[in-house]
Amino acid sequence: MNLVGCSVVENREIAPGNFLLTLKVPRGFARPEPGQFVHLRVSPESEPLLRRPYSLEGFVERGKIRAVRIYYSVVGRGSRVLASQPKGQELDLIGPLGVGFTPRPRRTSVLVAGGRGVAPLLFFARKLREKKRPFLFLFGARSSRELYGVREIRGGRIHLATDDGSVGYHGSVLDLLKRQWESGEHTPLTAEIFTCGPHGLLHEVAEFAAGRGIRCEASLEGPMACAVGACRGCPVPLLPGAGGNGGRYPAMCIEGPVMDATIVDWERLP
Amino acid sequence: MTHASPSLRVRVGSLTLRNPVLVASGIIGYGQEYERLVDLSQIGGIVTKTVTRHARAGNPPPRVVETAAGMLNSIGIENPGLEGFLEIKVPVLRELPCAVIVSVEGEDVQEFCDLVEGVSGSGVAHAIEVNISCPNVGPHGLRYSTDADMAREVMSAIRPLTQLPLIAKLTPNVTRIADIAAACEACGADAVSLVNTFVGMAVDSRTRKPILGTVVGGLSGPAIKPLALAKVWEVVQAVDVPVIGMGGITHPRDAIEFLLVGSTAVQVGTALFSNPELAEACVKEIESYARRAEVPSVADLIGALDVPAERGMIRAGRTLAPR
Ligand SMILES: Cc1cc2nc3c(=O)[nH]c(=O)nc-3n(C[C@H](O)[C@H](O)[C@H](O)COP(=O)(O)OP(=O)(O)OC[C@H]3O[C@@H](n4cnc5c(N)ncnc54)[C@H](O)[C@@H]3O)c2cc1C
Ligand SMILES: Cc1cc2nc3c(=O)[nH]c(=O)nc-3n(C[C@H](O)[C@H](O)[C@H](O)COP(=O)(O)O)c2cc1C
Repeated sequence: MNLVGCSVVENREIAPGNFLLTLKVPRGFARPEPGQFVHLRVSPESEPLLRRPYSLEGFVERGKIRAVRIYYSVVGRGSRVLASQPKGQELDLIGPLGVGFTPRPRRTSVLVAGGRGVAPLLFFARKLREKKRPFLFLFGARSSRELYGVREIRGGRIHLATDDGSVGYHGSVLDLLKRQWESGEHTPLTAEIFTCGPHGLLHEVAEFAAGRGIRCEASLEGPMACAVGACRGCPVPLLPGAGGNGGRYPAMCIEGPVMDATIVDWERLP
Repeated sequence: MTHASPSLRVRVGSLTLRNPVLVASGIIGYGQEYERLVDLSQIGGIVTKTVTRHARAGNPPPRVVETAAGMLNSIGIENPGLEGFLEIKVPVLRELPCAVIVSVEGEDVQEFCDLVEGVSGSGVAHAIEVNISCPNVGPHGLRYSTDADMAREVMSAIRPLTQLPLIAKLTPNVTRIADIAAACEACGADAVSLVNTFVGMAVDSRTRKPILGTVVGGLSGPAIKPLALAKVWEVVQAVDVPVIGMGGITHPRDAIEFLLVGSTAVQVGTALFSNPELAEACVKEIESYARRAEVPSVADLIGALDVPAERGMIRAGRTLAPR
C-alpha cells in the first residue's frame, strides 16, 4: 500500500450514470489482487473533504505502463465530481487496500454479481482464467444496458438475469443461483460463492449459502474515512457467535472489503 | 540577517518537541497504521487513539459521514482497553521515531487513575493527553468535559501519579471553555489541548432517519476551524500553560494561524485522511514562515497575532514577531 499520484487516461460514461475510469499509476503501485480497492482523491480541490473508496475493475500492465480501472456510479457529490474529471487530470490514490477474494484449491468459483457490483468480479474472473480455474459467472442487473463487461468474460460459463427481462432470465440473479444449485451439479465440497452488489442481494446470497453450508465471500461497501484501519470508522457488524453482539467490529477497510458473508450481520449493516 | 535555520523546538511541560506539529487522537491509530503514508521522523509526534480502562467495541454503524466542509464521527472510542494497550500497542509505539502522547479517558476518577498509572508505568509515553472531552461515549464523557468541578477532581487525582506532562484535552461544547482550562491548570495540567469535536447531527430526509448510528456525533474538519481558533484565542487569554491548538487544519497555513493565535503546538486531524502528507507539510510551512519572518525560533511566532488595541481585545502574545 502506498500513496501515489495518478492521472486520468479515460473517464467514459458507458451506461447512464455509470462510468469506466482508467487511471495511470506509477510503478510504485503494487500489483493488486481482485477484491482489493483504492482510496481515491476525486478532485485536486479540498472539496469533497474525504477520499472515496473504489474496488478495482482491473489492473493493466503494458510494458512499463501500469493502470487501474474503476467502474463507478454517480450517486452523490464525490462521484459527481469524479465524473467531471477530464483526461490528463492529475489525482492521487492510496492503495492497493484491503483483503481480496480467496478461492480455495480445486473448487469451482460461482461468481454472483448484482449491477455495478460486477466490477471486482470481472477482475476476479480474469484472474481465474489466467490460472485456468473453473468458474461460473451469474450476473443480474435492472436491464440489458447495465450488464457491463459481459462480453469480455472468457473462460467460464455465463448466465444473465434482468429485472425487466430485456436479456437472459427475467428475474433475480438469486434465482439463477438457486437453479444452479438445484441442478445438482455443485456441492459445498466442489463449489464456493463470491458475490458483490447491493447489500440486499448479498444478504440473500449469504442466507442461501449459510443454509446449505456453502462457503461464501462477499465484497462489502460503506462509508470510510482513513481506509487504513486507523480511524475505526467502517465497522462491520457480525452475527452473535461470530464475535457479534457488538463484541467486536472488524474494520471493513483492513479485514475486508471481502469477508465471509455468512458471519456478517446484514440486518445491522447499513 | 542570518540565514540559519530557525529553531522549531517547543516545550510542553518537561517535554521538548522537535517541532510543533502533532497528529491528533483518533486519526492515526497507534502510528503503525500510517507508517507507509506519514514520515513520522519528520513530525513532532502523535497522539494515540484514546485508551479506556476496559476494551470498547465502539458504536454501531454508520460511524462516519461527510458533511459540508467537514465530517461527523461517532466511533465511540473503539480501543483494546488498558491491558490490551499495554500488551499489543506499547511494543509498536516503542518503535516509532517521534514523540508518543497517549490519550486516556476514564468513566470515573478511579479509571483515570488506573490509566495514568498504567500508561506511565509502560515507559512508552512522552506525555499523557487526558481526554475529558469525548462526545461519543455517553453521559460520563459529558460530565467530565463540561463541569469545571469534575475536571478539577480528575486532574487533582491523577497529578500525583505521574511525572509525565499532563495535557488536558477540552471540549468546545461549553459556554465558557476558559473556566475549564483554568481549572485544569490550577490542578496541575502542564498544558491544555483543544478543540475536540463539536456535537453535530446529519439527517437523511429521504429515509427520515438520522445518518449516524448514534444519531449525534462529533463534527471535525475545515468547517470548524474558525470556531476552533476562537476557542484557542479564548483559552490563551485565560491560562499560562502551553495551549495545543487544533480543529480543521487542512492547509499548512492553517497551522500558522493556530500558532499566531497562541498555540504552542498544533494537532492535525481529519484532513490527514485526505492528505497523509499534511503534517509534514505543516512542519515545512512553519519553518519557511519563520524564515520569512526572520525570527530565530518558532517560539517567536506563538501568540504573535497583531491585534489592534482599539478593537478592545487583549494581545494574546508573549512575544511579537518583528515586522
Ligand atoms: C471497498 C469499497 C469498494 C467500492 N467500490 C465501488 C465501485 O467499484 N463502484 C462504485 O460505484 N462504488 C463503489 N463503492 C461505493 C463508493 O465508495 C460510493 O458510491 C461513493 O463513496 C459515494 O460517494 P459520493 O460522494 O458520490 O456519495 P455521497 O455523497 O457519499 O452519498 C450520496 C448519497 O448516495 C448514497 N450512496 C452512497 N454510496 C452509495 C452507493 N454505493 N450506492 C448507492 N447510493 C450510495 C448515500 O447514502 C447518499 O444518500 C465502494 C465502496 C467501498 C467501501
Ligand atoms: C474519526 C475521529 C476519531 C476521533 N477520535 C478521538 C479520540 O479517540 N480521542 C480524542 O481525544 N479525540 C478524537 N477525535 C477528535 C480529534 O482528535 C480532534 O480533536 C478533532 O477532530 C478536531 O480536529 P480536526 O478538525 O483537525 O479533525 C477524533 C476525530 C475523528 C475525526
